[in-house]
Amino acid sequence: MGKKILLFGYGNHGKYIAKGLVEDGFVVQVVENNPLHHTQAVEDGFESAVEIDITKDEALIGLNPSGYQQLVCVMDDEHLNVFLTLSLRSLFEKSYILSISDSIHVTKKLQMAGANRVIDLYEVSANKIHNILNRPVATRLLDEFVMYKNGIGFKELVIPEGSFLHGLMTDEVDLSAYGVLLVGLIDEMRGHHFEFITAGFNHRLDSGDTLVCIGEEAKLAYFKQLIASPHYPKG
Amino acid sequence: MNQLLLSIALWLHHSKRYKETKHFIYDLLKGEGNPYKKYVDLSIIFLIVTSVFILIYEVKHPVPHWLDTYDIYFVSFVFSVEYLLRLWVHNNLSERIVKEYKEAEFLGREFVPVVILKAGLIEKLKYMLTPSALIDLLAIFPAYRPLRVLRIFVLFRVLKLLRYTKSINQFIEVLSNKKFELLTLLFLLFFIVMTAGIAIYVLEEQTNEQINNLFDALYWALVTISTVGYGDISPVTPEGRSISVLVIISGIAMISFATSVIVSAFSEKLSELKENRIIEQVNKSKSFLLVCGYGQMTKMFFRQYAQSYDNYIILENSLERMEQARKDGYDAIYEDASRYETLSKFNAKHCDITILCLTASDVENVYITLNAKSISSRITVIARANDSSMVSKFKHAGADHILMPNKVANSMIYTAITQPTMYKAIHAILTGKNIARMDEIHAYECESIVGRTIAELEFKRAKLLFIGIDRGGNFLFNPPSSAVIERRDTLLVMGRKISLEYFKTRYQKGC
Repeated sequence: MGKKILLFGYGNHGKYIAKGLVEDGFVVQVVENNPLHHTQAVEDGFESAVEIDITKDEALIGLNPSGYQQLVCVMDDEHLNVFLTLSLRSLFEKSYILSISDSIHVTKKLQMAGANRVIDLYEVSANKIHNILNRPVATRLLDEFVMYKNGIGFKELVIPEGSFLHGLMTDEVDLSAYGVLLVGLIDEMRGHHFEFITAGFNHRLDSGDTLVCIGEEAKLAYFKQLIASPHYPKG
Repeated sequence: MNQLLLSIALWLHHSKRYKETKHFIYDLLKGEGNPYKKYVDLSIIFLIVTSVFILIYEVKHPVPHWLDTYDIYFVSFVFSVEYLLRLWVHNNLSERIVKEYKEAEFLGREFVPVVILKAGLIEKLKYMLTPSALIDLLAIFPAYRPLRVLRIFVLFRVLKLLRYTKSINQFIEVLSNKKFELLTLLFLLFFIVMTAGIAIYVLEEQTNEQINNLFDALYWALVTISTVGYGDISPVTPEGRSISVLVIISGIAMISFATSVIVSAFSEKLSELKENRIIEQVNKSKSFLLVCGYGQMTKMFFRQYAQSYDNYIILENSLERMEQARKDGYDAIYEDASRYETLSKFNAKHCDITILCLTASDVENVYITLNAKSISSRITVIARANDSSMVSKFKHAGADHILMPNKVANSMIYTAITQPTMYKAIHAILTGKNIARMDEIHAYECESIVGRTIAELEFKRAKLLFIGIDRGGNFLFNPPSSAVIERRDTLLVMGRKISLEYFKTRYQKGC
C-alpha cells in the first residue's frame, strides 16, 4: 500500500476521487490552478495541496511527477486537461497518465496527447444505460461488486512462489469450495494481458501469474493466505 | 313502460360483461393502438376491394353464382353489422337513463326517461347524418345488377376505404386547413363559369348548333376554363371566341392558384405528417425507447448502441439539434417531452415504453420524469442526474433508475487507479464486450431450468461462469451445486456472447 498518486484538478471529479483514494490508503497529492478549488482541497484536509500555473513547464517539473505511480488529470476545463496531458507526456515519458474526457473529440485528442488511459465520461454512462436496459439485475449486481457493497467483490491475487496452484491447469482447479470464483487471469507465459476464464483456453498456472477472483471479502483474504501453501488444501 | 326502461337500463348498467364488450368494440372500431384493430381494418379493406373487383370483372365476364352471393349477402351483412355496432357504441343510452333516475330520485322529482331517451336518440341520429356514417350506410347496399345506375352504389364502398386508410384522411385533413382559400377559388370558378356560360348561351344559341341549352353552354365553359378543351363544343362567332380567350386566360390563372394552394398546404404540414408517421410506426411495436434530448450523452449512446435498438424516437426541443440528429441518421422529432400532449401521443397502454431523460438540465429531466409517470406508471424512466442533490428528487418523481454520469465516471477512474490490471477486466464486463459479458438469465424465460439443480445445468460445459442467483433482491453468491432454481430467480453468469445464447436456446426449447 501507500501508492502515490498525483492528482491534477480538485473540481467535479477530483473531489470524489481524492476522498476515495485516501480512504483506501493511497497517498494523494492534489494540484490545482484554480484558487477556489485549492482552498476547498485544503479545507477538505489535503493540506499539501499546491496551487501552480500548470501551463508552465518549470512548475510541473517542480512537482517531481516521476516520484508518483500515476498522474491523474481530471481538470474541469477540458482544454486545460488536454494541454496538461500533453505537457506531462512530453516532460515525463515513462509516467502513467490517466485522463478524463467529456466528449468523443476530446478522447481522441487525449489519446494523441499520450494519455495511457482515457476515461470518457459519456462513454461509460452510455454503456451504463445500455446495460440497465438490457440486463438490469446484472448491472445492479456488478455495481455492487465493484463497490464491495454486499461484501462481495473482485480481487487480484498473484500466485506466490511454491504455491500448490503452480503447475495445475485451470480446468482442474475448482475454487468454488473456498467460496471464490476465478474470473480470469494474466498468464505471464502467454503475454502480459488479461484473459477471461470463459474464453475457453485451458491455462497452466505458474507462480507469478495474476488471478482475478470474485468472492466475499473475508473468503478472498483467506484464499490469499491459502494459495501460499505448497499442498492442495482440503476444502 | 318507464319501469321497464329503467330495469333494462339498470340491468345493463350493472352488467360487467356488457360494459366490457361495449368498451372492447369501441376500442376495436374507434380506439387507437388496439392490437386487434389492425386485423379488423384489414379484413374490411379486403371485403371492399373484392366487391369492387367483382363489379369490374362482371362488366365483361359472367360471374360464378357463389361470388354473387358473397358480394350481395356476406359483404352487405358484415357492413351492416359494422354500421350497427358503430351506431351502438356512439353513445350510451342506459347510462343516461340510470343517471337521470338517480338524479330524479335525489331531487324527488318525477322520473321521465323519455326525454333523456329522445335526446340520446337524436344524438345517434345526428351521428347517422355525418358524411362518414352516410357512406357506411350506403355502402351496405349491394350493387344491384339489373339496374346499371344502381351499380354506382359500389362507389360508396370505395369511399368507405377512406375510413380505413390513414393517408387519404391525412390528405383531406391537410386540404381542410386551406378551406378558406379553396372555397374562395371554388366561388370564383363558379362565378366565371356561370358568366361565361350564360354569355355564350345568349350569343351563340341561335348560330351554334352544338349549343342547344344552358347546360351545354355551362359544360363548354367548364371544359374550357379547366384547360381540358375537348373540342366537342366550340364557339363559332367572333364574340364567342373573344369570350373563350378571356375564359382560357382566367383558367390558367386559376389552375396555378389552386396548385400553389395545395402545394403550400402540404409543405406546411409535411414535417408534422412525417413526425406523426414516425410516432405511429413506433406505437405499433411492443416496446420502444423514447430518448429525450440529443446532447453529448445521447450521441454517445447511439454511436455505440444504435444498432441494438430498432424502436426508438429522439425527442428534442431545439430545432437545430433535432436536425443534427436527423443528419446523423436517427429518427428524431421536434417536440418538447415535458409537455403532456407530447408524451400522451405514445401508446402507453399497449406498449412497454422506456424513457431516457438525458437532457443536460436536471430541472428538465425531473419534469419529464414527472410528466411520464403522470401519464402511466407503466412507463419506465431512466433519468440522468448531474447533481447528487437531485437524486432524492428523482426518486420522489418516480424515476426507476437514476444515472449520475459524474459518479459513474468517478467510480471508473477510481477503479483504474486502484486496480489498474483489473480495470480492463471490469471495463470489458461493463461494456459487455463479446468475450466477457456478465449477463442475467431469467428463470421464467427459460421454463425448463426451473426445478433443476445447479449441477444439472452444466454451466461449465457451456463455458459459462456461474456467479450466483438473485432471488427477490437477495443475492446468493456461489450457491452449493445442489441448490434448486426457482421460478422467480435471476441467474447471474459470465461468459462469451455465443455461450450465453447457446445456453438460453438450449433451455428455452426445453430439452
